[in-house]
Amino acid sequence: MSFVCPLSTLHRTILSGLALLFAAGLVAGIFVPSAPAADKLTIYSGRSERLIKPVLDAFTTNTGIQIELLSSGTTELVNRLKAEGDRTSADLLITNDAGSLELARTAGLLRPLNMREVDRAIPAQFRAPDNAWVGLSGRFWIVVYNTTMVKPDQVKSLLDLADPKWKDKIAIPNSGSEYLQAGVSVIRATHGDEKTRQFLQGLKTNADGQVYQKSSQIVDAVAKGQVALGIVNHYYVYRHLAAQPGAPIAVLMPDQQEGGMGAIMNVAGVGIVKSTKHLDSAKLLVEFLVAQAGQKLFADLDKEYPLHPDVKADPALVERKSFRAAQVPLTKLAELREPTLTLIEQVGLR
Amino acid sequence: MNTIRHQLASPLQLFALASAGTILLPLGYVTAQALSADPAVWSRLWTTRIPELLFNTVSLAASVAVITLVLGVSTAWLVTRAEFPGRRLWEGALVLPLAMPTYVLAYVYSYLLGFGGPVEHLWQLVAGPQARIFSPHSYSGATLVMALDTFPFVYLLSRSAFLSMNVSFEEVARASGVSRFSTLWRVTLPLMRPSIAAGVALVILYVVSDFGAVSLLRYQTLTYAVFQQMTGRSDNTAASILSLLLVGLALIFLITERWFRQRSRFYQTTGRYRAPQRHRYGWLGTVAVTGYLGLIVGAAFALPASLLIQWSLSPEAQATLDSRFFGFVWNSGILAASAATGGVLIGLPLAYLASRRPTMLNLGCLQAAYAGYVLPGPVAALAVLVLFTKLAPVFYGSVLILIVAYVIHFLPAGLQSLEPALQQITPNLEEVARTLGLGMRETWRRVTLPLVRNGFVVAWVLMFLQTMKELPATLLLRPVGFDTLAIRVWMEASEEYFQLAAPSALLIVLLSLPALALLVSKDWRAA
Repeated sequence: MSFVCPLSTLHRTILSGLALLFAAGLVAGIFVPSAPAADKLTIYSGRSERLIKPVLDAFTTNTGIQIELLSSGTTELVNRLKAEGDRTSADLLITNDAGSLELARTAGLLRPLNMREVDRAIPAQFRAPDNAWVGLSGRFWIVVYNTTMVKPDQVKSLLDLADPKWKDKIAIPNSGSEYLQAGVSVIRATHGDEKTRQFLQGLKTNADGQVYQKSSQIVDAVAKGQVALGIVNHYYVYRHLAAQPGAPIAVLMPDQQEGGMGAIMNVAGVGIVKSTKHLDSAKLLVEFLVAQAGQKLFADLDKEYPLHPDVKADPALVERKSFRAAQVPLTKLAELREPTLTLIEQVGLR
Repeated sequence: MNTIRHQLASPLQLFALASAGTILLPLGYVTAQALSADPAVWSRLWTTRIPELLFNTVSLAASVAVITLVLGVSTAWLVTRAEFPGRRLWEGALVLPLAMPTYVLAYVYSYLLGFGGPVEHLWQLVAGPQARIFSPHSYSGATLVMALDTFPFVYLLSRSAFLSMNVSFEEVARASGVSRFSTLWRVTLPLMRPSIAAGVALVILYVVSDFGAVSLLRYQTLTYAVFQQMTGRSDNTAASILSLLLVGLALIFLITERWFRQRSRFYQTTGRYRAPQRHRYGWLGTVAVTGYLGLIVGAAFALPASLLIQWSLSPEAQATLDSRFFGFVWNSGILAASAATGGVLIGLPLAYLASRRPTMLNLGCLQAAYAGYVLPGPVAALAVLVLFTKLAPVFYGSVLILIVAYVIHFLPAGLQSLEPALQQITPNLEEVARTLGLGMRETWRRVTLPLVRNGFVVAWVLMFLQTMKELPATLLLRPVGFDTLAIRVWMEASEEYFQLAAPSALLIVLLSLPALALLVSKDWRAA
């Protein structure tokens, strides 16, 4: 049993190390103030933490209402809300995809809202019919291209990216991405399943090794010239340009040609969870988000288009009036989703 | 006395049965869900995703196995059969990569090998400005990262095999005029085959169930696909089907590893032990050996660790060290401590009953507890999720569900220390205490417990650290406000905010070092 001695000294070191760790945590735990439960909102957010936290912090500063944030995948959060049912601690759901919000609404997870502030601020096509979810900012699924490798007139439509000449030259998001799912839904609604399937097959072949989890990585790959083109939401491009002003990338608004589909639009939005016990605070937050100041803050953080008609978008963006959006209603994204996923899976997109 | 024993054993037995049931039930649920799925879903998956995923998973496992085999055996040979300055230092340093979670190594390498990254710049100095290196986000990248991270498994097992082998076989071969190299090839390595195979099987099991590296390197394996299905789809059928395949695959390698390990035990008992003769190197050999070992340890540990330190010291990273950061540390600590404690409490009766009353039932319960080995993180999460939503939805989204997933997932690691600890005490000691007049409980408290305490502590620390590093189940099941260090590393790293991920990653590595010391000290005992 000679090994007992050295081992136990080792244990002691480890244990005292762990004790120290706990002590550190305990100290931190004590000194971090925790607000009383009444003034606290829990938000499930499919929007990346760094894009939403500053807005929520501003809300906390204004109202004193603390916010607990769970950031995760959008679909994952909707699944979670479903499973938790009335026991959920969530008060609001914020996502970057109208389809997911509409799915949550049809599953009865969200609470219809009757608020004049909402009706006034956000045009009806960006809200659920019963206001169970409210759009907050607009985002477009666009083509980003490397200006040294591609001329903007080489691509007119998203569908052009399936052309064999772009083999190994494009990058796309993975099939779990809600933007991709919504985008494919809109293409299906416009062009039909067969044409969409061909498009996806071409996309799959062309983007073979360039399927990304994060759109920021796609833009990065285009900026570095690793690929020539990518499909992303527009703001990723501007975010990249803001950090690296000289990067050789630009936004190409696709499908603007005569008779074209128009750019695929989606909205980020918010809904109040049906079982919330903090309805008044939750309504305050919605009011904050649709008001002009909130709209500006929410949209600008991510370089998106505010939905409030009187709020101007960041001047760096392509003027909103200069391009058309696809004419597929946002609420339709939900019912289109399942068959879209089946199609994506049939094609075998990653 | 028998009756008293029986009385005590009985509630224990019930408890053991209940724990075994709780551990197997989730697996059963996932299996049932997969098997009862619409055949159309099966056939769709078979024609689209499954061939690619299986091919990717198996080919990654195969290439990592080959590389770890070469790295592990060669390094083990050098530190056991050669003599050169600094040998003892290298002997310990070669284990260090085990302190790096795969996702940390993966994120460091996606920076190093990334497009326009430092390695590419160096290469362009040599090969011209247009030269490209392979992308880390590929089969080669995933292979490199996984091989660097897992070769110590093969190294550790080969090393103890080299040390415990009966040298007379080799001496006979040498005396009969066989060359040194031929002896190694024809005598030594065949004798070590079981140990090496056990090490490689362990590596493969690790690769197959890894989530962290493949998710950051975007390499599609079954484990990663299960996670993507769970997060991207609203029903879990496809995830269950993929999970079932994954469990099957893992089971094959687990059984292989067990089988070889049993055979290696047989070899270790033969013959008399004598230290093997070490081959002494001249200065040229020393330089070559040191260069070789330095390259491996440098790539797998020293370089990543120094980058983490450098990033942690950057102003961006320093700015994240606020009270929120300590909240993450606290969450990690409290979750890991609960899981480790739960694991010891559940593992102890199982191991105790199996060693003291080795009935079929008790042994079966113990084997059931090893199910976690074939449940990769996302699968464990899926299993627990499905089970809880069906049976006890009240706990969904609570800490409990996460801890149950941890315990199921990491109990095998704990049991591996608890089991031998209990086995090494002979029942005679307890019986002596009983005949000297101690009560049943007193005997436990004053004889059994002190004897097994070491095994406890090792089991607890191992489970604590594994839990702290755990990623996929935490991502999928964490309650509101329960982000851990591992989550922060993954979240920042997957958006390529390398500096911001560094402090959490560095802390995980630092905290893993003591556990590594424990692991290695156990190994030395065995050797």
